[in-house]
Amino acid sequence: MQEATFLILTALADGAQHGYGIITEVAQISDGRVRLRAGTLYTALDRLRVDGLIGVDREEVVEGRLRRYYRLTPEGTKVLAAEAARLHANATAALTRLRPGLAGGAA
Amino acid sequence: MSRQAAPGTERLEHGYRRLLACYPRSFRADSEEEVLAVLLAAAAEGQARVGSAEAWDLIRGAVRMWLWPAAPRPRAVRAAVKFMLAGAAAELAVVITMLTTAPAVRAALAAKDAAAVHPVAVRLIVDLGAAPLVIGLWLWLAWANGRGEDWARMISAACFGLVTLSMIAVLGQGGAVYALANVAVASLEWALGLVSVVLIFTPAAWRYYRPQPAQQ
Repeated sequence: MQEATFLILTALADGAQHGYGIITEVAQISDGRVRLRAGTLYTALDRLRVDGLIGVDREEVVEGRLRRYYRLTPEGTKVLAAEAARLHANATAALTRLRPGLAGGAA
Repeated sequence: MSRQAAPGTERLEHGYRRLLACYPRSFRADSEEEVLAVLLAAAAEGQARVGSAEAWDLIRGAVRMWLWPAAPRPRAVRAAVKFMLAGAAAELAVVITMLTTAPAVRAALAAKDAAAVHPVAVRLIVDLGAAPLVIGLWLWLAWANGRGEDWARMISAACFGLVTLSMIAVLGQGGAVYALANVAVASLEWALGLVSVVLIFTPAAWRYYRPQPAQQ
């Protein structure tokens, strides 16, 4: 899974978000390192929707403009949890090997 | 409902719309207004022109959507496409086994029933003549199913049904005129068709062929 996809799913993990909300959440989660642009975001959202990992939660019209909220589907939650566990296991293994004295990789 | 937009915002919106016009029509119908709202919300204060980085990002997104429409194919559809390509290869193998076993079949038949040699030879020629079309059909259906065309899925199922019926008919009345190798390869081709059709009708494949509309 690409990092942008992982971060988009993470941004939706604790509730529905609209497009611009996802961009700001992703920037926050990644400490400003990943700044999604609309083209990248909507290519990813389009694919995630068709894959059934996210769905449309609701739509609103704010200041005359359409705002669509996305949420994780149960399948999306499962996929994100599995990917997070995989990344966590890899990171733990890396930290354990880098610092043999610190079993478990605790900082 | 009127929004008063600064001239700079109007120009910016016009610039974004020109770039969004590069996207597939179905995407634009579903998401153009939404993407535009996000683009304008993310624009810098007083920005009047589309920046080169965001223009490049939008063009790249459009290219991706044209080249790889919808989502990366679900595993089931990817597998089905591979099985269909294998089906084309199996048809080629059928042709090869037909050509290599034809003399033996002919000799065996001549010894048993000389009158049957001619009709069997005609059938062989018809089968060989149809083979390029069958290979083309496999490849075409693999391509169209890979793109998520729902009609291709229906045609695949219909073709599989017809092939199954014709196989039953042929094996029922005159299986003996085919060499064992030929029947084995044809059965493999039929099995590839069966697996492909099962895969393109799995739940994940349904979502790929018939994406949910945005309104839920």
